[in-house]
This record gives sequence, C-alpha cells and structure tokens, in this order.
Amino acid sequence: MAKRSSMGGDAAGKPRKRVKVVHEAPTSEEIHTSRQLQGLLAPDQDLKKARHGLQSFKVFLDHINNGDDGHEDKREILNEYLASRKPRADDETPIYLPDIMETWSYAGQTNNDNILSAVPVVLALLLRILSQSLDQVPYGLGICRTLLRKRQQELISRNLSADKGKEFIISPTLRLLREAICFDGGAMARPIFRARNYTFKSLGRNMGIKYLGEGREDPKRPSARTNAVRFFLSALKFLHPEAKKELLSLRDIVTGLTKSIREDPPHLILETLDTLKTHVLLDEKLPREAKSKLLSANTLTRIASLYTYDDAASDAEVNRPVDEVTHAFLQIACTLPSAGVLRQQSGFYPRGTEAEDDSLLRLRSSDDVGLENVVWMNKFRDEIPVRNYVLSEFTQNLRPWSNIKQSELLVTIFKAAPELIADYFQKKRSFTFEPKLSATWIGYAALLFNAVQVDIPEFFGQSSGYSPFPPPTSIVLDNILPLPLNQKVLVRCLAQKSNLISFFVTRILVIALEKLAATLKLYQEAAGSNGALWSEGARRLVDEFCQRCPSMKDIVNSYRSIPEDNILHREAASRLLLRYYEVLPQVALIAKFDVSPFLVTCIKRLRTEQEDSSSEDRNLGLRELEHLLVIAGHSPGMRWFSKLEGLVLSPFLTLLQLLVDSRQDISSQKLLDSINFVAEEQQVVLAREGGRGLAPLVQTLQLLRKTQATEESTNNVWTFINNCVARCATAPIKYLEMMLDILGSGSKIGGQDGDVPQISPLHMALVEQIPFALKSASSDTVRQLAQFISLFLGASKAAGEDPVLLERVFSELRSHFPEVVQKKALKEFPSGADFEQRPRVTEDLRMDIDSPDSPARGNNVAAATESLDQLFDQPSEYSLDNSALQKWVNKAADEIVEEGYASSLISLLASEHTSIRKEAVTNMLKMAAKIQQSDYDEKEQSHLLLCELAETAKGNVDAAPLPNTIISFACHALDVLKNPLHTMYAKVNSFLTSGPVWKLDRLPLVHEVLQEEPSEDDQYYAELGWLLTYLLDSLRTGSDLALFHKKRVFEQLMSLAGNPYMRHNMRIQILGILYRATGIQGGSGTLMTRFGVMAWLESRQAAAAESGGGEDSVYPAMIKRVWETADQERALAWSRGGIPEILGV
Amino acid sequence: MSSKSDATIAEEFQAYYLQRATKELAEDLDKVRSADDFKNDAIPLLIHALQQGTTMFSAEDKRRIVAGSEARAEGKGN
Repeated sequence: MAKRSSMGGDAAGKPRKRVKVVHEAPTSEEIHTSRQLQGLLAPDQDLKKARHGLQSFKVFLDHINNGDDGHEDKREILNEYLASRKPRADDETPIYLPDIMETWSYAGQTNNDNILSAVPVVLALLLRILSQSLDQVPYGLGICRTLLRKRQQELISRNLSADKGKEFIISPTLRLLREAICFDGGAMARPIFRARNYTFKSLGRNMGIKYLGEGREDPKRPSARTNAVRFFLSALKFLHPEAKKELLSLRDIVTGLTKSIREDPPHLILETLDTLKTHVLLDEKLPREAKSKLLSANTLTRIASLYTYDDAASDAEVNRPVDEVTHAFLQIACTLPSAGVLRQQSGFYPRGTEAEDDSLLRLRSSDDVGLENVVWMNKFRDEIPVRNYVLSEFTQNLRPWSNIKQSELLVTIFKAAPELIADYFQKKRSFTFEPKLSATWIGYAALLFNAVQVDIPEFFGQSSGYSPFPPPTSIVLDNILPLPLNQKVLVRCLAQKSNLISFFVTRILVIALEKLAATLKLYQEAAGSNGALWSEGARRLVDEFCQRCPSMKDIVNSYRSIPEDNILHREAASRLLLRYYEVLPQVALIAKFDVSPFLVTCIKRLRTEQEDSSSEDRNLGLRELEHLLVIAGHSPGMRWFSKLEGLVLSPFLTLLQLLVDSRQDISSQKLLDSINFVAEEQQVVLAREGGRGLAPLVQTLQLLRKTQATEESTNNVWTFINNCVARCATAPIKYLEMMLDILGSGSKIGGQDGDVPQISPLHMALVEQIPFALKSASSDTVRQLAQFISLFLGASKAAGEDPVLLERVFSELRSHFPEVVQKKALKEFPSGADFEQRPRVTEDLRMDIDSPDSPARGNNVAAATESLDQLFDQPSEYSLDNSALQKWVNKAADEIVEEGYASSLISLLASEHTSIRKEAVTNMLKMAAKIQQSDYDEKEQSHLLLCELAETAKGNVDAAPLPNTIISFACHALDVLKNPLHTMYAKVNSFLTSGPVWKLDRLPLVHEVLQEEPSEDDQYYAELGWLLTYLLDSLRTGSDLALFHKKRVFEQLMSLAGNPYMRHNMRIQILGILYRATGIQGGSGTLMTRFGVMAWLESRQAAAAESGGGEDSVYPAMIKRVWETADQERALAWSRGGIPEILGV
Repeated sequence: MSSKSDATIAEEFQAYYLQRATKELAEDLDKVRSADDFKNDAIPLLIHALQQGTTMFSAEDKRRIVAGSEARAEGKGN
C-alpha cells in the first residue's frame, strides 16, 4: 500500500485516478554572497520560495561543476556557506546542511514532489563538487552520514519507491545515492549497503523504468533505469566481497539488470559488462556461488542477445563495438572455471557413470565380462545428464549458424566442457542438416566441422588415468560424428549436385575419420590395463560409426562427380577414400573399389597441366595423386603394370614418367617413395633398406631426358622399359633364375648366398628383351637405347649393386648392339662416376655394406673412421628399467614374451643391485608359472627357458650380476622360441633339453653353430647371423672379454671372416664385435698381442681390395681405431716398431 | 636460402586455399548469396567456413604446397 499512502491520506477513499502532474518551471536568481545563499536555503513554509532557493542553488552549483566563468568565486561563496552551516564539533549527532534537510522533510510531509526532486538534485551535485576537493571530503562524508539518518533514509526510500511515472524524483535520488556510494573511494559503501532496506528500495523495479522514446536514450538525459544500473554497478565496485555476495543474491535486482539490456544505450552496456567482468567474474575473493547467482542461463542468454546489437548509429566515441565486448565477456564467463558458470565435468562420462555399485565392482575383478554387463553403457542415447546444466541450457539459445562469434563462443565452450558436445547436438536433433544451399546450412556445417575438430579430453574426461570401463559408445560417437550427421543426411549431401555441399561434407567426414582413428588409438592405450572391455568398446564404436557414416559407394560416386578442375575438392575426396582404407579397412575392402580410373585421370591431368597451372595447383594435384597411390597400395587388385584405357604406358611407367619430368621437390620425393615401394615389392628392382632401389633408374631417365634425342626414339626407349618392367613384375622368379644362371657361369661373383640377388632383376629383363627391341629399331633408337643402358648400369653400380655381376650383364647387353655402337657408346663398362653418391647412415648392423664405403671412396680414412662410429656404435650397457619387475604382471602370456616384457626382466639380472637381481629371479619364476598356465602357443619352451635361467641365476646373483653372455643368450634364445620357423629353433630347443642349469663360463651354442652342421642345409649363414648378433650383445665388460678370450671366440670369428663366400654384411658384423672389444679396457691390447689383429686386418684389407665392393676402406679405419685405443707403448715394444709401418706413419 | 616462417606459410596457404575454393565453388556461392537468409553478417561466416579446411593440412603439407620451389632446395640439402 505504499503507493497509495504517498498520494496522501485522502486519496485512499477516492477512486484511483491518474493524477495529472503539472510541471511549473521553477524560478531562480543569481547568487553573489554566502549570506544570500543562506537566505535562499533557509527553511520556509512557503514551498514555492523554498523551490526558488533550491533552484537558485542548483544553478549556482551547475556553474561550479561545469567550470564556467567565475566558478572559483562561486566555490569560495559555497565554502563560506558550508562553513557557516557546519555543525558544532561537539555535536554528538551532527546534521549537515540542516536547512536543506528540513526543507526536504517538510516537503515529505506535504507531498511536494517538486521539492522532493529538487533536494536530491542539489545534494547529488554538491557531493560531486565536494568529491573534487580533498579539503572538503570530511564535509561530504558528513553529508553522507546525515543521509543515513533515520529520517533521511525514509525520505530516500520514499523517493525511490515513488510512482513509476515520477522519474523526476527517482532519477535524482539514484544519482544522489551513486554519488554517496562512490564518495571518497567508496568510504560510505558499507553503511549505505547496510541500510539497503531503504537505499536499495525498489531498485529492481526502477531498473525497469527504461527510456521509451524513439531511437537511443540521450546520454545527457539518463533514464531511471540508467541511473539505477549505474548505482548498482558502483555498489559492485566499492562493496567488499561479503556484501557483494549478498547484493548478488537479491534476485529482482539481478534479473532487472539484464532484463532489457538489449535496449540500453551502448555506453551503459559497455559499463555494465566491464564492471561485471572486473568486479564479479575476475574477483577472486567473491565466492563461486555468488557469481553463479548472477550468471544464470537466462542472464547469459540476454547478454548473448547483444551479439546482434545494432550500435552503428550510436556515438562515435565508443570505439569498442558492443558485440566484441560481449563476446569477450561471455568467453570469460563460460570458460573460466572461477567465473562461476563452468563446472567440473568428466568429459565423455556423464553423471551416473561414476557410481561404482557392487555389480560394477564385481565386474572389475571378474575375467569374463562384456559391455552388456555395464548397466549404463546404452543409457544415454536420448538424454545426457550433464554437469554443466547452465551452459547446456544457455548454448541451446545461441544461433551459431548465423553469427560467427556465437559459433566461436560455442566451440570455446565445447573445448572447455567436452561433455556438452554430445548433449548440444542431441538436443538440437530437430535442427536438421538436410542439404540446402543457404547461409544457415553453411554456418551449421562450419559449426559441425569445428565441433568434430575439438580434441578428445584426456582419459576421455576421467581425472586420473583411464577408467576400467570405456565411456558410453553413443557419447563417443556423438563426439566424432555429431547426431545431425546421420547416414541418410550425409548420403543426400554427398549426392547433391552442388559441389559446395558435397565438398563441405567431405571435409567433415575426413576429420571425423581422423578423429575416430585417434579415438581408437586411445582405446588401445586404455586396453593396456583393462583389455577386454576396452577392446569390445572399440569394436562397438567402429560398428556404430559404420552405421552412421556413408558407404564407400557413396563416397566413390561423389568423387566421380567432382569436376576435373576442382582440385581442392578432389584432394579432399581422395583423402576421404584413403582414410576409409586406413581407419575402416573392413568397409573399404568390401567395396571392391577400383582406383585405376581415378589414377589415370589424375596422372593425365598432372601431365597436361604442367605449363599453364600454378605450382600450388600442381602440388595439390600431386597430393591427390599420393592419396590415390596409397589407396592403390592397399587395393589387392591394383594393376600397376598392365596397360589401362587412356594411358600409353602402364600406370607404373606413367608415374615414373611424371616423376622424371617433374621438378625435384619434396612432392616428387614422396611420389618417388610411393612408386619405389611398388617397384621393390614387385621385385623389379633391388630392395634396399634405408635407400631407394628405384633411384638408379630414375636418375638414368632424368639424365637421358637431357640428351638431344628425337621424340620417337625417346618413346621407343620408354616402351622398351615399360615392356621390361611389366615382364619383370609378372614373372620375377624367371629373372631371378636367370641371374642365378649368370652367377653359376662366373666363379667369383658376389652374392654367393644364392637367394639374395645383388643387382636389380630388371637388368635381367633388359638382357632378355634387348634383342627384340633392337631388331626393328631405327639408328636413333639404337643410340638412345645404348645410352640408356650405359647410364643405367653406371647408376646401378654407383648405387652399390654388385659390380662384377653388372659387368657381366653389360657385356651380355653389349653383344647385341651393332659393332659401331659397341665401339662408341658401349665401349667400356661405365664407371658410374657421374652419379651422385648419397651416403646413407645406417643404424642397423645388418644393413647394407654400402653405408660405410660411400664416403670412403677417396680412401679417406678419417671419413671412414667417422662412419665406423656410426656403423658400430651401440649401447654397451643394458637399459635397465626396474619397473620391468612390475610391468609384466598385468600382461597376457603372449604379450610377455612377444612384446619384450620377459627380455626386460631378464636384463635386470645384470643390475648392480643384489636386491633387484634377486627380485628378478623370483619374478622370473612367477612369470614362468604364468606362461605355463596360459594358452600361449610356445608356453612350454618359454617356461623351460625361464626356469633354467632362474635356476642358473639362483645361486649366482647373490654375489655378482649374471654374465652378459648368459643374459644376452637368454634374450636372443627367447626371440627364437617365439617363432617355430626360426632357423635356430631346433638348436635352441635341444640346448634347453640338454640340462637344467647352464654353465656360466660357457658361451651357449657357439660351438653348435660354428662347428656342427646347420639344422637345415641352406641355413648356415642365417644361423651365423643370429650367433653374431647374440655375441655382439654379449660383449659389454672386461669379464665378457676375458671369457671370449678364454673360449677362443675371437680366433674363431677372425678365421670365419676368411670365408670367401661370406656376405659383406656378416663380415661387417664380425668387425662390429671386434670394434666393440676395442671399446673395452684392454680390449685392443688383447686383440693385438694375443690374436694379431693388425696383421689380420691388413690381410683382410688386401683381400677386400681384390674382390672389390668397397669393403676395403673399412679396414684402415679399424686399424687406426685399434691403435688409438690400445696401450701404445706396450704395443710398440711388443711389435718392435712394426705397427707404425702398418699405420703408415 | 631464407626459409619462410610457418606463420607466413600458413598465411600464404590460407590465401591460396580461399582463392582456390572461391574459384571452384563460384557458382554455388552465387546461389548462396541470393538465398533468403543471406545477410551482411553471413559474409564473415562464409569466409570462415571456406577457410576452416586449411586446418586439415599439416604445417609441412602447407609448406609443400605453397613453397614447392623453396622446399625443394631444403629437401635436397637434407
């Protein structure tokens, strides 16, 4: 009833009528003295007079406030007046400005609105003026205190709750309060808030008294709402956290603040957002709950409505657009955990999955469980109980498809709270993605793209490591392919005539498949600890994904319909196909997709557009080609070597041609890698680890291209190569046999292993086909062929293929050419010196012999020494990882053996700590028992090996680590046991059955391999290879060296190297063992004085120089190494000065 | 050989991608422009949508595509 009483007692009985408010313009006079001012402000029963006085005072204060002419004099008058009306110092309850207060009080009694409005006007002005002068601050504070007296509080409250129409009373009062709360840095904020029943009276309502006129509100004539909001914001600025918390819990005020924010002038909006940001969101002392009271979903939505605020017509001073400030505000509000909106969440595990009830706990400990036993696994298909319900509600109100900033905000929220992705699209299910060429569709597609790109949260949202249970499949899938992207819609999009729609969908599908791959990898990682459930989860995920994504057929059709020039689109489509092959091979292979026509189109385009297209276009085209090549590699039915419609040569040769014609950049390197893979796999060229078998042919053709040849002859050469390559690929065995025939006819040719060719089989095809090619060839073609052959053999030789065998091939080929050509172009076997040498650094000892010799061609011992380091340098200590004691416990038996857990455990027997060694023995026995009880195929042998090793170690590990020879043998023997087809399988098994304990001072199986016959006739070198690796691994310390010495291992190895049939890489392995010995204290001395290694190396060098192959340059480097690491004085004395001679110093 | 920074390359690639996409999709983009829901603020969204495809390319891929000649020299150096 407050409103009625304000109309006076009589009003209660009368019918309510709108009271017409007549505004009479107040009169005023200029003030010249303080005395005059006193007279004007003295309380008067005549309110007209009083109003005149107040109005004169207002004009007077305005002068001062505006800094008009003579304001300083006026300020003087004011000061005098204030001093004259100052309460006495001993007054206990001083009243400041008693005259004005009395007039106000009287106006209250007589309901004089004009005075009720005029008093707060002058008081607000006066406070503002006083706040500018430090001397007057105490006076101002006095006025503020007076305002907080009972009577004044009532008057303020009465003013604030005046009729809605009486803005002229409400607004000045709010201004006055604002001045008071800001006065002296907020000194009075606390008491003003304490009197909130009066001072904050009707604030919520007053916030609703907004400007109703046309256009935007004039900043100079603020509405009651503006004043109310500013008062509230000032309160936020100056109140302490506790009070602020209380203020924010006043619901009507908080609602009133943003209810009509969209209609506010820009400066007020900016002030509101800035203040809320600084004094609420970022105020660390303010508790979270208080902030969340303010930032409800409704408030956020209202603030978000500012994204489309039209501030174009507003004042130019504001150079911060409202939408940008809003965006920044909402980003902080929604993603900063301390801002009160974002709650802690657990990603893909919604509420209800964390409760570990008894049945789930039982599941964890049981071995035989399936996902169907996990009650919540299928529960969240229709509704996801998220923890961030405020954000969930808020995001539904955004319009991300029509506004880029809203889209950005939504994606930022998704990143901060990944649980919301699935939830958002589930609730947006009705908003379809049906293809339509419109801005909204594009905006939605962009949002979906961004949503799919959001990373998967660590551990799928669990805070510490993977949960024993995978997250609900539907939720994971909704994060990879959000719900609007169902199969039906996707197929329709792909089948659209509009390229834009299919392009956008193709891109989304590409990243979705990539995300699926990443997810499956995480599942695999998680399966490490709880295999069965996660593996089943992964299977389910793939199944459900396949049901939601389009079939290969749709993708292929869409790809087919892309215009040839749309390379961006084609690149994306080919990449999508490739991802199907990589991530969903089961789907891709069933489709029986024939990649060849696409390949042909792509190659043809690349060949024709060389001249007029930009390099970017070409490189992009090459990427498409690369994708197709990888797909072709995956497709079992790819016909690389047969002629296809539309191409003159086979796809393989066409690609080769493309490569030869192209510039040499990274793109072509990748292309080369792709076709090299095919060539090596089909045994057209010699496969080489770390190198490219096809490189000699490519180099040759590149050089040949530079020669001046007729087009016809060039084409003939290509056709010839095409023919040879095709034959070679269809019947590789035939050419391998041919090679063996040539081998057979030469007595001292390399590659004596018989099974490993040392030159490319393509050479054999050349030999076979050259007579036919020459038969009807023109002289130009013959010349060109001769040049090709000369270059190709040279390049092959330079690449490290067997020179002797090549020379034989050369003479065979040469014999078919006319005599003139034989004498000129094919006069002698090419040296291969024209070809660039690319040293390949190898890490693997068993690698090709070429590695060390290429830099050493110029007998450069220093370079060879360097490559020696690269060739032989291997860690001479086990990487002992004590966690190996534990790691195996949760693994299955086959993993223990095959993934190296057992080997790591065995290595621990070399640990310097007795306790670790003992623990390792105990664990080994446990491991053996576990393996024996498992259904691992090789369980018996593995069990036996571990038990024997443990038995051997038992008595010995107490004193010292087990010898490296034993450890290395155990590890390598275990490797053999994994594979029953291993050449050493029989020997290792018979060794294991020969006795329960191994002798520590013996090197197991050395005698059996070196002295006895191999278990299979042709496996001698394979057995030897295994033995050398194991011996190299055994040699680590001085005691190992002593054992080698005692057991005459070095003698045996050194004599072994004399075997002329032995392959280079085996000799390098033997050198590797010697090199390892030189690294051990006293090793070089022993080798030199006991085994005469210097003389041996010298003789080996001579033998190697004789047989060629570039091995000879390794020996001087070895001699140098032995000398440098030996005790030189002793060696000099021992050799009586002979060694420097060998060294050539 | 001064090699461009990843940021420059990314910028160049983005420009190329956008230019390429507008060329390939010109006809459809015209249609979108005449759609009912196409307003001024749709333009930045459209550009964003077209450009977001660049995130599918790794930094190395971008370098390969826009700086083929420069990358060649580096590739050889390796």
